[in-house]
Amino acid sequence: MRRLLPFVAVLLLATPAGAQHAHHGAKGGAPEAFTATPAFGPDGTLWLVRALTDRVVVVRSTDLGKTFTAPVMVTPEPVNLDWGPDARAKIVADAKGGLVVTFAIFQDRNFNGRAFFARSTDDGATFAKPQPITADKTSQRFETAGADPAGRVFAAWLDKRNGPKARAAGRPYPGAALAFAWEDGEAGFGPTAIALDNTCECCRIGLAFAGPGRPAVVFRNIFPGSIRDHGVITFGNPTAPGPIRRVSADNWKIEACPHHGPSIAIAPDGSYHVAWYTDGSARKGLFYARADNAEAPFGPPRALSTPNRQPARPYLLSNGAELHLVWKEFDGTKSIVRWQASRDSGRQWSEARTVAETADASDHPLLAANAGRAYLSWLTKADGYRLIPLGELP
Amino acid sequence: MKRRFLLALPPALVSLVALPFALAPHAARAADPLPFGRGSWAALRAAHRGKPSVIHLWGLTCAPCLVEMPLWGKLVAERPDLRLVLVAADPVPQDPARVSEMLARSGLGKAESWAFADRFYERLRYEIDPAWGGELPRTLLIDRDGRVTILPGVADLAEVRAWLDRQGRS
Repeated sequence: MRRLLPFVAVLLLATPAGAQHAHHGAKGGAPEAFTATPAFGPDGTLWLVRALTDRVVVVRSTDLGKTFTAPVMVTPEPVNLDWGPDARAKIVADAKGGLVVTFAIFQDRNFNGRAFFARSTDDGATFAKPQPITADKTSQRFETAGADPAGRVFAAWLDKRNGPKARAAGRPYPGAALAFAWEDGEAGFGPTAIALDNTCECCRIGLAFAGPGRPAVVFRNIFPGSIRDHGVITFGNPTAPGPIRRVSADNWKIEACPHHGPSIAIAPDGSYHVAWYTDGSARKGLFYARADNAEAPFGPPRALSTPNRQPARPYLLSNGAELHLVWKEFDGTKSIVRWQASRDSGRQWSEARTVAETADASDHPLLAANAGRAYLSWLTKADGYRLIPLGELP
Repeated sequence: MKRRFLLALPPALVSLVALPFALAPHAARAADPLPFGRGSWAALRAAHRGKPSVIHLWGLTCAPCLVEMPLWGKLVAERPDLRLVLVAADPVPQDPARVSEMLARSGLGKAESWAFADRFYERLRYEIDPAWGGELPRTLLIDRDGRVTILPGVADLAEVRAWLDRQGRS
């Protein structure tokens, strides 16, 4: 059976349109997820998790993305995947060679989600049946997971469980809560805890680690007055989320959710690096800021590009002594990925350089590192999936 | 608006155009929105050139938009001088049937309606306004000289009424 699975998967991948109509109740076809998220394994294998119309699959490459194996199914049955523009299936390759995939589905037409994880303990040959990340069924979205420096998998997501309770008690409850859980042996994830209530509810969240058992999560928060600016929470220990540290006072007052989430990296010297999108009254566009450590205030925001090029979807990576930053912008015809790097803990950055472009729809640009080299990982409609080595620092 | 546009066609064409609507299974349901793709913005602007128009950008995935829609339905009923064009600008194209359902429920079943139908979201946004980050709702008031007033977020309809009054006078 195990041998047959890849072949079944190939057939299914070959007919996305057929699958779309066969399995969805929605007339005219449900909106389609279009993401590819990478992770390098300890042996240099590139793992890629793809969210397709109604399924999640994993492929692997042992030649840095030139060729991929047949897809392995993560979702045994068709699912109503979260196709939101900031949602994505993710994959964590731990130091022991285990894999954890996370993804979310929509439970209903009101965008209430349910986050799942699926584990592989046979080097990606098969995945166990996906399990909910938490027992509560209200709504979870924008789950993200990572292995801390000790190898323990941490997951965080936006969770709406406290909303109905508050409203039943006659109190308003804007947004969602930042929830988290740690992996708990073979059983999956342990108990869920809430780090903070009233975060913005539909932006991706960013994750890095300040040390073993010390995740740092960046997210769009709701500050008083419906100001949707960014904050970082660093854990003091695995069960002790610290206070929120505001990244920047952009003063973006908006009663909606912008579908633009931030990115974070922590360098070996302990410095924090955050990039984000805002349309606030204090500044508009895409920005970067750094902080010296887990407690220091963030420095002044630095603009990336100009607002009339639609700069968006930033992504940061710490790779040894280097920091890498990419984002997407639009030049009137093509979407292009811009790249900057820093070798001095983010104080000075190279001139932005275009490293990829495409003339049709594309996923967010992402970064991953292997054997000391950083790579851009980018899925495009017109040019397929690309893994592009980021060369010598400019 | 679309209705006026149809009336300007020769009678034979009108019946051809009207036929699919007459055969639609749900009489109360509005026609599917026009697919908004590359170049649609220029076509839309050209079709309304010289006439004061209100372009309302909204989305099925935008909760405040859904709350606001019935208010636009009321304004359309109240102001025959309102030339309203609705553009569903969801970042991921939505089922057109759901777009028209929402409009019909909001009393906007007869308004000119478009829906983003191309996954190249950046390009569609850029054609409308290079500096627009995609936030919804958003309303553009375009006078007969093509001057655009942008109302970001949920529109203050008193402001729209006052703008309409000024267009009538000028």
